[in-house]
Amino acid sequence: MLPPFGLARPRSVSAALAELDEDSVPYWGGTELLLAMRMGLIRPRQLVDLKGIAELTEVRIEDGELVLGAGLSHDEVARDPLVAEHAPLLAYAEALVGNARVRAQGTIGGNLCFAEPRSDVATVLSALSAEVRLVAADGTDGADGTDGADGTRERRLDMAAFLLGPYWTDRQPDELLVDVRIPLPVTAGVYLKYQTVERPTVGVAAVARGAAGCRLVVGAVGELPAGFDFEDVASVDAEAIAGELEPTPDLTGSILYKRHVTAVFIRRALAELAEKVSAP
Amino acid sequence: MTDSKMKAHPVFPEHSGKSFAGKAVLRRDLKEKVTGAAVYTVDVVPPGCLHAVVVRSDRAHARIIDVDRSEALAVPGVVAVITSDDLTGLFPRFGHIVPDHCILAIDKVRYYGEPVVLVIGDDLYSASDGADLVRIEYDELPAVMTIDEALAPDATLVHEEQYASTGDESFSAMAAAPDDSDTALPATDNITHSHELAWGDVQAAFAASDVIVETLIHFPMLYGYAMEPYNSVAHFTDDGLHVTSSAQHPYMVRTDLARVFDLPLAKVRVDVPYLGGGYGTKSYTKLEPLAAIGAWITKRPVKLVVDVEGAIYTTRADAAQTRMRTGFTSDGVILAREYEVILESGAYADNSPLVLAKAVNRAFGPYRVPNIAGRGKSVYTNTAPASSYRGFGAPQGALAGELNLDQAAEQLGLDPYELRRRNLVHPGEEILPGKRGIDADLHADLGMLEESLKRDASDQPMHGIGVGLAASDAGAFPVSTAIVRIQTDGSAVVMSGATEMGQGSKSVLVQLVAEELGIPMEVVQVVQSDTGAGSYERTTGASRTTTLVGLAVQRACGDARRKIAEMASEIFECTPDLIDHLPGGISGPDGLSATFGEVIQRWFGAEAGEVTGVGTVRREGVTQKMPPFWEVGVVGVEVAVDPETGFVTVEQLVTVADVGFAMNPKAVEGQDLGAATQGLGYSLYEELVYDGPQIVNPNVVEYRVPRMGDLPKKIDTMIAQRGDGVGPYGAKGAGEGALNPMGPAVASAIARATGKWPDRLPLTPERVWRLMNGLPEADDLG
Repeated sequence: MLPPFGLARPRSVSAALAELDEDSVPYWGGTELLLAMRMGLIRPRQLVDLKGIAELTEVRIEDGELVLGAGLSHDEVARDPLVAEHAPLLAYAEALVGNARVRAQGTIGGNLCFAEPRSDVATVLSALSAEVRLVAADGTDGADGTDGADGTRERRLDMAAFLLGPYWTDRQPDELLVDVRIPLPVTAGVYLKYQTVERPTVGVAAVARGAAGCRLVVGAVGELPAGFDFEDVASVDAEAIAGELEPTPDLTGSILYKRHVTAVFIRRALAELAEKVSAP
Repeated sequence: MTDSKMKAHPVFPEHSGKSFAGKAVLRRDLKEKVTGAAVYTVDVVPPGCLHAVVVRSDRAHARIIDVDRSEALAVPGVVAVITSDDLTGLFPRFGHIVPDHCILAIDKVRYYGEPVVLVIGDDLYSASDGADLVRIEYDELPAVMTIDEALAPDATLVHEEQYASTGDESFSAMAAAPDDSDTALPATDNITHSHELAWGDVQAAFAASDVIVETLIHFPMLYGYAMEPYNSVAHFTDDGLHVTSSAQHPYMVRTDLARVFDLPLAKVRVDVPYLGGGYGTKSYTKLEPLAAIGAWITKRPVKLVVDVEGAIYTTRADAAQTRMRTGFTSDGVILAREYEVILESGAYADNSPLVLAKAVNRAFGPYRVPNIAGRGKSVYTNTAPASSYRGFGAPQGALAGELNLDQAAEQLGLDPYELRRRNLVHPGEEILPGKRGIDADLHADLGMLEESLKRDASDQPMHGIGVGLAASDAGAFPVSTAIVRIQTDGSAVVMSGATEMGQGSKSVLVQLVAEELGIPMEVVQVVQSDTGAGSYERTTGASRTTTLVGLAVQRACGDARRKIAEMASEIFECTPDLIDHLPGGISGPDGLSATFGEVIQRWFGAEAGEVTGVGTVRREGVTQKMPPFWEVGVVGVEVAVDPETGFVTVEQLVTVADVGFAMNPKAVEGQDLGAATQGLGYSLYEELVYDGPQIVNPNVVEYRVPRMGDLPKKIDTMIAQRGDGVGPYGAKGAGEGALNPMGPAVASAIARATGKWPDRLPLTPERVWRLMNGLPEADDLG
């Protein structure tokens, strides 16, 4: 059962930052946080409800980047016209996350911070070379970072730096993930996943790069999304990539099976990408 | 009221044929369930109610050395911390076949998840905080986790003694020790129960066979997922014990509770609001004794609600391994079948002995089998206890029997329809000697199935079709009662002990009463499942409600009409033969007529009174011969297999519900599609998996149940109505049929798509991929 907890409802990012510590944690949709609390895995003293902070749900283009507020729900990202125009691959993947309740309730920022290894969002954002912006109140104990505005510190991390392991990120307890930034323009891409239960067995994102190359990210199958860059798509050896990965065996598949379907889905994703690139 | 008012007017329009029965009426409970207004057990919270949390064993098999409750008792709000030591003076176990099931573990725990301590608090927070602080010291014992381990020569015993049977004669043959034997017999093995079926000369028949086909197949350990997990609330008053619970069979639960507290049956009241699904998993006693001992100790109402994990560790379905061997002539005529079903039944017997008997009865199918030797064992292991599950032994048994036929069809060069046709019984033929002949036309049903499947069949590679037939001796032991009370305004209350568990019995009972009395459905009210204020019903299971409760209700209506007629003959001062029935009333001599209400008011002499009709059903007349009816299952699927991943898509699902008469065709379709879908669940997705002492997927995220997205592309649910059942208007039961042979239909369809015969369910993508590639079930990771 859900243990008792305090609730703070800040109306601004700076007010939220003042509340954050080891025992007082950010809360938005609760799709993963409340589950973990119900299971007794964590028992924070206070939840900092971010839903009253308007700027966390903004979508805008800024300095050649698509900026997505961390509090946007998966549904909101999937349906946003700017996302559809500039990063259709993300819109596509977001529309397939979890189930209708999770998409309505869960947020892009919450998804990344929870670092569920089978996240569709993390895989696609890795392929899009996205970064997250973390902000903390100035003068508190936190990681080193560049100075932010208005007495805050901030730093930007790409997915590889941000995601450290299953359910483990580099976000410090006093930091808030404020937004996700996708460099523009985004080239043609595909996301294919193999999913037989609640979460994918393997998710493969491939984004065109240069004349014949691509960035390939394989997620869900191992502990972290694994990224590969190729100058020439034709040279990709799906079996070899799958062989390099360390699949996490579970009820959806053994190591052997997961390696096999990873190779299958890499091949299928690259075939689909080739079709997309060659399409007029 | 004057006689002049009683003129010849039909109260309601004269009906030709049936007005209400057989119509696809909207369910009675639909609106309140959709809007959330419906009351379930979880909504029942008496004033001053305490809340209970179960502390469960974290060992598979261990002796309990000590329980330290001091820290738990120190938690503010904790009222009691109860162990089996506190049950002195009570009968501390339950079980309707053998009362082997400890309410709280006594001396030792027999499975991970077994209730050891019950913590009661003012609220759930204090109770669960207290539960976290109970310290239990164990001395580990060797555990038997599988059939092979349990049956090994020197296997450790899950139960050291054999238990005396309960007083219920219909179960007494299933207990190891005779009833009322005071001294328990020592157990020598882990066999809960054995069952055999034999006729003819099997050895000679096999010797004469041209083709012999043998199949070994594993049926998975399942959880019959109902949206509502188990929950109960108990309360002692001067009137006795009152328990409100999520129970399919309140009267069976009452018997167990009366034994625990040594109370007269009349002083135990068990009532059941709506059930959020049951599928057999809410048959028999579950949490009721726990809530009741909490109330007994604290002298206050106690509520106990478990989550899905708690429900899985309360009851799951029997896993099975079955070997089936069949001898055929070269023409595909069955000469003999020999088989053994072994059920993995978990730590307590619960209903597994009966599930076993049914699995053995239901394994060989609705075929002419001149020589048979079937046997079965239900085996205790240190796993969660197994009990009833929709289909009741039939899914486990039919899996082997039908798959074996499909393998034989391949060897004999016959198509699966033709092989079945050559052996299928005709209406009236017995498949179990001395029992009721088959009351269904399976040849006609199979024809309907074949026509539909072939109409849309694809000839693409990696596609395959599979069909399955099954016959279940259904209806259970026919004991049923019903009361119909006609009111002064002509409305009627029908009282039945049958539970509305989502299957739609409430509407069916209304339709029946409206039909029999000729009154509108709107004026019929139903009172169900309350042992203190209703009518006796043995069980809500075995697809029996429409048939057996239906008969009781029909008879209760007849009884009420007979009484009304007697009263009318007094009023009209005429002989009873001059009274005739009208819809909602009677006609008398000289063109007189009266509504039910007018008769009642006039007879009592005030605007008061009522007429009570009583109907009973027992082993007599049409229900003398067992089983009361056969529930047949007729299903077919077409699957497509992804050659690279092994992922299976169900292209076609075809079912024939052979129900005699569909009281509510929409409900029958819903039941059949629900059963078929649940059948696809165990065929393709569902399996509880043990790793060491505990289940690794005791939740519905990892225990994969069917979803909307899994629904087959084509669904054809046909209903065959031939009026061949013993129930009202020729009705027979529905609700399990399509689940029973779904496993073999899917397995053989996949076999035809891939060219390889599977040896276990569910056929998850990885299993199918391994099957296609000749890989073992698991890799040796050394």
